[in-house]
Amino acid sequence: MADIVVGAPLAAPPSRPRTLLVGTVFGTAASLMYFAALLGVYLRERADALSGGGDWIPSSADIQLAQPTVAAWTMLMSAVTMQWAVYAIARDDRAHALMATALTALFGLSVVVMTSFQYTEMGLAADESVAAVLIYAISGSHLAMIAVGLVFLLLMAFRALASQYSSRQTDGFVAASIYWYAVVFVYVVIWTAIFVLK
Amino acid sequence: MTLTETNPPAEAVAAGDDLGPPTGAVAAGDDLSPATRASVPQWTPPTGLARILSSGDYLTVGRMYVAFSLLLSGLALALGVLIGIEKADIDGGFGVFANSNELFQMFGLYRITLILCGLVPLFLGLATVVIPRQLGAGSLAFPRAAAAAFWTWLVGSIAHIAATFSYGGLGSIEAGAARGQSVELTVLSLGMIGLGLLVGSGVVFTTLVTQRPPGMDLLQMPAFSWSMLVAAGVWLFSLPVLLANLTISWVDMRGSDAVGFGAAEVPFEMVAWAFDAPQVYAWTIPLLGIIAEVFAAAHRSVPKLFEPMAFIVGAFGFLSFGAWAQSFFDSADPRAADAHVVTDEVLFTVFALAIALAVLAYGGWLAFNAYAAGRRPEITPQFALAVVSGALLTLAAVAGVLRVAEPALGVLREADGDIWRGFFDAMDDLEGSSLVTGMMSFAVLGGLLAAVAGLFHWAPRLLGRPLSAPLGFLSVLPLAGGAILIGATDALSGFFDQPARPYEAGNPPYGPGHFDEIDALGFVEAMNVIGLIGAIAVLGGLALVAANAARGLVGMPTAESDPGEDS
Repeated sequence: MADIVVGAPLAAPPSRPRTLLVGTVFGTAASLMYFAALLGVYLRERADALSGGGDWIPSSADIQLAQPTVAAWTMLMSAVTMQWAVYAIARDDRAHALMATALTALFGLSVVVMTSFQYTEMGLAADESVAAVLIYAISGSHLAMIAVGLVFLLLMAFRALASQYSSRQTDGFVAASIYWYAVVFVYVVIWTAIFVLK
Repeated sequence: MTLTETNPPAEAVAAGDDLGPPTGAVAAGDDLSPATRASVPQWTPPTGLARILSSGDYLTVGRMYVAFSLLLSGLALALGVLIGIEKADIDGGFGVFANSNELFQMFGLYRITLILCGLVPLFLGLATVVIPRQLGAGSLAFPRAAAAAFWTWLVGSIAHIAATFSYGGLGSIEAGAARGQSVELTVLSLGMIGLGLLVGSGVVFTTLVTQRPPGMDLLQMPAFSWSMLVAAGVWLFSLPVLLANLTISWVDMRGSDAVGFGAAEVPFEMVAWAFDAPQVYAWTIPLLGIIAEVFAAAHRSVPKLFEPMAFIVGAFGFLSFGAWAQSFFDSADPRAADAHVVTDEVLFTVFALAIALAVLAYGGWLAFNAYAAGRRPEITPQFALAVVSGALLTLAAVAGVLRVAEPALGVLREADGDIWRGFFDAMDDLEGSSLVTGMMSFAVLGGLLAAVAGLFHWAPRLLGRPLSAPLGFLSVLPLAGGAILIGATDALSGFFDQPARPYEAGNPPYGPGHFDEIDALGFVEAMNVIGLIGAIAVLGGLALVAANAARGLVGMPTAESDPGEDS
C-alpha cells in the first residue's frame, strides 16, 4: 500500500472557471459586432451619397474635429489608467487600483460631457438627413457603451473595496479592462470613420 | 496506508479562501445570543407565483422558455393560417385583412413571432434545462442573467405583439401614410426580444465554455451541447447586427419626419435579412445536435466519428451567418450597370451551395452511424420527428440551391441555350418568388419539429416524466405532413411566379388585377389552399404536443429536488 510522503506539496486546487471573463468577452464581442453593423451601414450610405455627387454631411452642420480629437486622446489615456488598475490589483496594491479605476471613470465621464457639448455645437438636427440619423445612432450608442463601462468599473471598485480582488483573483478587473479597451477601440474607429473622414 | 500529514497552517487556509465570507461577519453571527437570533426576521423562500417570478433556478427558467415559446409558436401559426386564408383566393381575396398594410404588418409579425418568439427561445429553453446536466454542472454560468434574459424576451414578445396589433408593425407600405401610433414601440420591443435572446445565448455559451468538468474538452461534449455552442456563437454575431438595424430605425423615428430608415416599410427591410437565407439556417443550428442525439438513442449506440460531425456543424454555422446579406449593403440604384445587389453576388450563391453540401455531409454522417449501429432503430415519436426535421432541412437546402440556380448555371445558358432553355425559363426570377418563402418554411418548421423531438427526448428531465408516446405519434402526422405541405406548396408556386411577399404597396390585398405576373393562377390558388390545410395541421399538431406536455406539469421536480440522472 502506498504511503503518502510527509511534507510533499499539496495538490494544486482545481482551476477556477473564469466565468466572468468568458461572459465579458462574449458581451464585448457582441458590442463590437453591434458597432461594426452600425459603421457598415454608415460607410455604405456615405459611399452611395458621395458617388452620387452630393454632400454627405449637410452644409448647415458644423462638425469640428477638435472636440472628437480631444475625446479620442482622453479615451486613449483611460486605457492606460485601466491597465494601471489591473497592474496594481495584480500586485495587491489596492489603493492604486482604486485610484486608477476612479481616473478611468473620470476620463469616461469627460468623454460623455464632451460629446454632449458637441451635440449642442454642431447644429445637426436628427431628422435633417440620413447622415445625421447615423451619426446620432452611432455616437449615442457609444455613450451608452461608456455608461455600461462606468457601471462595470463602479461594481469592480466596490468589490475591490470589499477585498474580493487581490493578486490571487483579478478576474473582475481584467474583465472590466477588456470591456473598457473595447470602448476605447470603438471610439477611435468612430473618430476615424465619422469625424476625420466626414 | 500511512497518513502522517497534519492540518495545514491556519494562515494557508485563510489565504486560500479569498472568496469566502469575511471572517469577521461569521464571528459576529456566532456571537448572537439565542434571544437575539429569535428576534431576527428569518428569510422564507417565496412560494407560488412569486417563486416563479423571482426564480433563477435553471429548470424553472428553461420550462418557462419552453412553455411560452410553444404558446407563441402557436400564435405565429395562427397568423400563418390567417395569411393562408387570404392567399387562397388570389384574384378575389377573402377580406381577412382590410388593406395591404395590415397584411404587410401581419406578414412581418408572423415571421418574427415564429422565429424570434418561437423557434430560438424553444432551443434556448431546451439548452437551459439540458446543458447543465450534460456537463455535470450544478447550474448555468449566470443563473440570474438567464432569468433576466427570459423576462426581457417575454416582455418584449408580448409588447411586440400588442404594439403590432395597435396599428404598429415595422412600418407601412401605404404610400404617404402617417407612421402608425405604435411603430416605435414595435421597434423597441423587437430590440428587447433581440437583447433577451442575446443575453440568453451568452449564458449558454459561457456555461459551455466554463462549466465543463475537468478533463472534458469541447469535442467531448454531447452533440446537442456542441450544436448550441456553435449556435450561440453565430447568434452572438447576428443578434447585435439586428439590434444595430433597429437602433438606426428608432433614431430616425425620433425626428419629426423619418428621413429613411424609419420611413414607410424600411424598418421591416432593415431586419428582413434575419428571416431569409442564409441567416434563416442559423436559427436552426441546434436541430443538428438534437437529431444526432435522438438518432443515437434510437439506435442505442454512441455516435461515431464525432469530430467530423462537429466540423460539419461548425461549417454549417459559419455558412449560415447572414447579417452581411442585408439589402442595406445593396447599391442605392440596383438597376445601375455596376450595381451591387447582395442576392446576385457570387458569395450569396456560393454560400447557398455550400450549405447544401454541409447538409448532405451531415446526412451522410447520420447514415454512417445508422449503419455502424448494426440494428434497427427504435421507432419513437422523437425519432420520427427527427427524421422529418432532417428531411425538411434538406428540402430547405434544395430550395436554396434552386433559388440561386439561375445565376449559378448561367454559364451553361451561354453554352447551349436550346438544350437548357426550358430549364432556365423555369429558373428565371425565382429570387423574389414564393420559393424563398418555401425555403424559410422548410428550415424554420424543420427546426420547430426538431425542438419538439427534443422535448420528447428530454421530457423526463424537463417535466419529470416521459410524454405519452401514442399522443406523440398522433401529433407527428399533422406536424410532419403540415410542415411539408406549407413549404412544398410555396416552393412549387414560386415556379409560377407567385411573389414571396403577398402584398403590394398601394393596392388592396389580393384584389382583381393584381399579381398579374402569376402564371397558372388556378394551380397557384390550389397550392395555396393545400398550404392552408398544412398550416392548420401544424397548428393542430402543436396543440397536441402542448396538451401532451401539460399532462406532465403536475409534480414537476425543481433543481433542488431533481435526483440528478444522466445526460
